[in-house]
Amino acid sequence: MSDIRIGMLSFAHMHAVSYLHFLSQMEGVAIAGIYDDDYDRGGRFAAQCKAPYFRRVDGLLDQDLDGVIICSENALHAPLVLESAGRVQGILCEKPIATTLEDGQAMIDRCRETNTKLQIAFPMRFAPPVIELKQQLDMGVLGEIYSVKTTNHGSMPGRWFVDHKLAGGGAVLDHTVHVIDLLRWFWDTEVEEVYAEVGHELLHPGLGIDDVGLLSFRLANGVFGTLDTSWSRPESYPTWGDVKLDVLGENGLISVDAFEQNLQVSSEEDGKTSWVNWGSSGDEGLVADFVDMLRADREPSVSGEDGQRALEVALAAYDSSRRGEPVALPN
Amino acid sequence: MRRVGIVGAGGISRTHADRWNQMPGVELAGFYDIIEDAAQRAVQRSGGKAFSSMDELFDAVDYVDVCTPGTAHIGPVVAALEAGLPTVCEKPLANSVADCERIVEVAERTGTPLFVAMVVRFFPQFAKAKEVLDSGAIGAPGVIRTVRSGSFPDSGAGWRKGLAITSYYADFAQSGGVLLDLCIHDIDYQRWCFGEIERVFARGMMFAGKEPKDHALLTVRFANGAVGHIEGSWSYPRGRFATRIEIAGSGGLIEWDSRTRPPVEVALEQEDGSLASSGSSPTAPQHDPYYAELAHFVRCVEANEPFLVSPYDGLMAVKISRAAIESLEKGKAVTIR
Repeated sequence: MSDIRIGMLSFAHMHAVSYLHFLSQMEGVAIAGIYDDDYDRGGRFAAQCKAPYFRRVDGLLDQDLDGVIICSENALHAPLVLESAGRVQGILCEKPIATTLEDGQAMIDRCRETNTKLQIAFPMRFAPPVIELKQQLDMGVLGEIYSVKTTNHGSMPGRWFVDHKLAGGGAVLDHTVHVIDLLRWFWDTEVEEVYAEVGHELLHPGLGIDDVGLLSFRLANGVFGTLDTSWSRPESYPTWGDVKLDVLGENGLISVDAFEQNLQVSSEEDGKTSWVNWGSSGDEGLVADFVDMLRADREPSVSGEDGQRALEVALAAYDSSRRGEPVALPN
Repeated sequence: MRRVGIVGAGGISRTHADRWNQMPGVELAGFYDIIEDAAQRAVQRSGGKAFSSMDELFDAVDYVDVCTPGTAHIGPVVAALEAGLPTVCEKPLANSVADCERIVEVAERTGTPLFVAMVVRFFPQFAKAKEVLDSGAIGAPGVIRTVRSGSFPDSGAGWRKGLAITSYYADFAQSGGVLLDLCIHDIDYQRWCFGEIERVFARGMMFAGKEPKDHALLTVRFANGAVGHIEGSWSYPRGRFATRIEIAGSGGLIEWDSRTRPPVEVALEQEDGSLASSGSSPTAPQHDPYYAELAHFVRCVEANEPFLVSPYDGLMAVKISRAAIESLEKGKAVTIR
């Protein structure tokens, strides 16, 4: 069996480092090359995995690739997907799918027209504590589900993440899509209505973009809930943030803290105490699933439409905040 | 020696009576309840005498402690204030905004001290979090999240079973469900920490027809632009009560969770080989929040100083709780006027 050949398109999003790490540990996978518009960054990672560096996307797409992984700035997902579609069998695109619904739709359409499989990177579906929750829900242990309280807190990521042109939005866009994707997946449902309080520069004066988001939503299956997307973890905090889900039903409560499997490490060098995660990374399952999709020539387990629905909710949250009232989703 | 009389011999009166009985310089004169039996039972467990009328009680005391259900606060509170007796009123100040406004008006006109027992401000961890926030250690207010979630309050303890208050809680039209009974604590605490609340948006089960279960998730916007989130529940499984504080500022974060490991854990192997474990987080008696709030009341009255919680604070907490209920009914955000 020949190797699955993967091209990495951009390391602007730090998740690329983790994806590369897990890909390079997998049997039968070859990193065919790395493209990055940042020469230093691209060259560094190319040297690290002993793969060629390409200054132009086109040059890398010529390398007889099976798939590409796109971890560019959010706004550049669309041009990179449009360029790759038809030249590879499958694309793994970092979340959010795009910064606008128009871009997202164009990506989905082009991939369909060219028979290219488009998968959105939602690694939380592959995190074992989340999978355990999904199994419990599928077994129906909670009985009727009432409510779900969730958080996806983070530290303020800086760099292009706070540049509206490249990121498309701040904390709300960055951290709405993961949890919303999980809820859609848990119950095969859609968000029906969202209300949001969005805060600009509340925690980071002068940031120039939203850094606080509280979403209150109702799902089509009748479950209501909230999601806190705020970049409210300071530099001095022991970890980057969290994904927490409290699902309440008639028989009780299931609480998941997806990143709670930690060592507590106190370091004089760091000048602080940190939580070092030893849990199984969802990124590992995500890239394995992507490679399996390429190998088996099957449909992606997380589709472009899934990415588009999650983006819709994030954009509706901004809309709600501007209008001061709940917003109904179109579906 | 100051004498205190309790009006309303239901659930919370026992908690208060225990504290009054511990307090130096204060004597529990007794109870008045419209149900004579209830007053008699309270006397048997807590001491003092059962008064046959509110006036008889007023004549015998220096302070009045009103522990009736929220719907029945206005009568005894107004009467006590008119009689010039410094008064403790259990939360909520009243169940309707109109009753609260009337009470505040009487308190202002008579100048009689009225303390609204918003006990959460006296919980040491909540008080300390506010102190750290005020110290500037975490910068300017950003996001405040609090949780107050447990099971429906019907059988936490045997003595509580069958009390009239249980059916009162389950009748949301009376009690206001978790939004008025439980979330009011968090509304008051968050308002104390971050200032005036501008609008609220609520989702919850109050009108879902699942009484006595209730559950609510609230988002609030403060006048200074900061935001808040409140979870209140009577739907958690029994024994899983939880409270939480999380305050994020421009320069840091404060967190506390009642479910983190307690300072005292007892693990005992049973004869059948199973494990019996329990945990506790003891504090000095004077830092018990119910003792602290009542001692604060006495101290302020004696020193003629303002209370930590004003009648206006009590009114605003009810106003915001009511706005949250309105938000739930209308499916819209409600601006606080």
